[in-house]
Amino acid sequence: MGDDVVASQLANIDVVIVVIYMIGVLILGTFFARYIKSAGDFFLAGRALPFWAIGMSVVVSDIGAIDFMATSGAGYTYGIAAANFDWIGSMPAMAFAAFIFIPYYWRAGVFTIPEFLGRRYNAAVQIIHATIWGIFLITMLAVMLWMTATMLHTVLGWDRNFCIILIATITGIYTISGGLSAVVMTDVVQMIVMFIGGAALVLLSLHEVGGWSSLQETVTAMPGREDHFTLLLPHDSSTPYPWTGIVFGLGIVMATGYMAGNQAVVQRTLGARSEWDAKGGMLFAGFLKVFIPLLVVVPGLCAVALYPDLSSGDKAVPIMIREILPPGLRGLMFAALFAALMSSVDSYLNSATTIWTNDLYGRAYGWITGRNLSPIHALRTGRIVTFMFIILAAMTAPLLANQEAMYNFIQTSLSMFQGPVFAILLLGILWRRATQWGGLAGLVLGVSFTTILHNTSGVFPSDDPFLFVAWWSFVFTIIVTVVVSLVTPQDPDEKVRGLIFGQVMKDGVVQRVLRERSE
Amino acid sequence: MGFISRISAAIDATFSSFFQRVFHPMNDLLLGIGEIWWTVCAVLLFCGAIGWVWTLRKEYVNLDAPHKGILYDLRIWTIISMLPHILIYIIF
Repeated sequence: MGDDVVASQLANIDVVIVVIYMIGVLILGTFFARYIKSAGDFFLAGRALPFWAIGMSVVVSDIGAIDFMATSGAGYTYGIAAANFDWIGSMPAMAFAAFIFIPYYWRAGVFTIPEFLGRRYNAAVQIIHATIWGIFLITMLAVMLWMTATMLHTVLGWDRNFCIILIATITGIYTISGGLSAVVMTDVVQMIVMFIGGAALVLLSLHEVGGWSSLQETVTAMPGREDHFTLLLPHDSSTPYPWTGIVFGLGIVMATGYMAGNQAVVQRTLGARSEWDAKGGMLFAGFLKVFIPLLVVVPGLCAVALYPDLSSGDKAVPIMIREILPPGLRGLMFAALFAALMSSVDSYLNSATTIWTNDLYGRAYGWITGRNLSPIHALRTGRIVTFMFIILAAMTAPLLANQEAMYNFIQTSLSMFQGPVFAILLLGILWRRATQWGGLAGLVLGVSFTTILHNTSGVFPSDDPFLFVAWWSFVFTIIVTVVVSLVTPQDPDEKVRGLIFGQVMKDGVVQRVLRERSE
Repeated sequence: MGFISRISAAIDATFSSFFQRVFHPMNDLLLGIGEIWWTVCAVLLFCGAIGWVWTLRKEYVNLDAPHKGILYDLRIWTIISMLPHILIYIIF
């Protein structure tokens, strides 16, 4: 993100709007503390979330303040193709997640995806998955705090350490006290603020460039930017978004793997008040996703027309905010940026806590004492772990200064994990014959294959072929899991009952058992 | 990150020629696919998801729905949610 300051001056009205927003979110979040009586209330919102809150929370958790800059920057550099992540990279995947994966997680009554993998395969798969996700989520918290502090320093000129302490304190207080309920309900408000602030920037930007048609004509007339309004680019495009990677790597593997296997997304649906709300929440989120590129990519495209020679696409939004928005709306836009940041931080914090408490601490506690965590013990542990994580993230965030390589390394590591995990999730649910050893071999060899393919140059036309790597790691893991499953003994019926798609669709006994369990 | 860079270089030296032999013919094949088919594939992904949802039993899709009316049928909402996306891919 660099250290170039493109600072905007906040008028008094802007400061008032941002402060009112912060205080409002804090009050709303802590309000839900009164409803937290057990671990189920803390981690799964007492299973009382309506579909509209789930949908809004899923959308807003998915987009952080960094994404506001980075996706606008991608729009500036590569054009509308950057929007694929919210279009083909969301809706089909959300439908599959809603009608295959979510009902199973929901009916099985699990807190986390590692827990589900543990039931379907074995403890090794659960612990590998939980450890990688747990470490990823905590590291990302620190990275997110640091990069957002840098972004706020860039656009506002604020001190980075002040920004870290401010965000960590507010999100920490309401996440510790109100758990998932507070996270989701503040997300609802944050999404509304984000949409209003983002829409203000889009409308004024479009007005500045003379409307959509004028924008399109101006940008496509520029040398090297003829494809800026083309969604699907050729297979040999040097951008990260060739059509083959977008349709297969993103649309089929990465998006579905993300929607079905990301703890931060799935946890909201597990907190639904009914299975219908869980499924409906995902569909509603998919519908809302249509509008996200309008908020984040269009300002980047307008910046191309207005400021075609920026040294970095990441400067597009800060410059648009400074030059286009009047006082008042500028404050609203900064409230939107804070909303984007806080919604992501609280989601990562809550999900990291859930995985560490249930899959790692809970497992270790069970092995040592021979007993499961009681609901009160899990609640107390969850709150302590949340407190520790936000402190840890705030303290380590400044250490990540100038460590963009670390950020890229973490992001890449996760993308390498996504294809193999999605493959074993899919086979575990759809194929009765998938065995615990097949799942373990698929996960370990699939991640190894991805690591090798990712580090091999000159294989794909794209300069950054992560979408192709995701697709082929998925295919490779499917093959390994199927082969190993066929040569190892079949898992007993009792172990997989209620976890296979065909059983739930056709077997009346299984359906009754699942129904009773969920009730 | 020096250690990671060295590992990355060793992997590249060991496997690049093998993977290039496997994937380059596929790249050549994919380059021959006409532009119209890119859009067809993208739209098919959306339409395929809609069609698949309609093959599921209605009771399964709408289990626990608060009411029985058409407004609470998630199959309808799947279409409504997908349509804007499909239009976008047809237009752009």
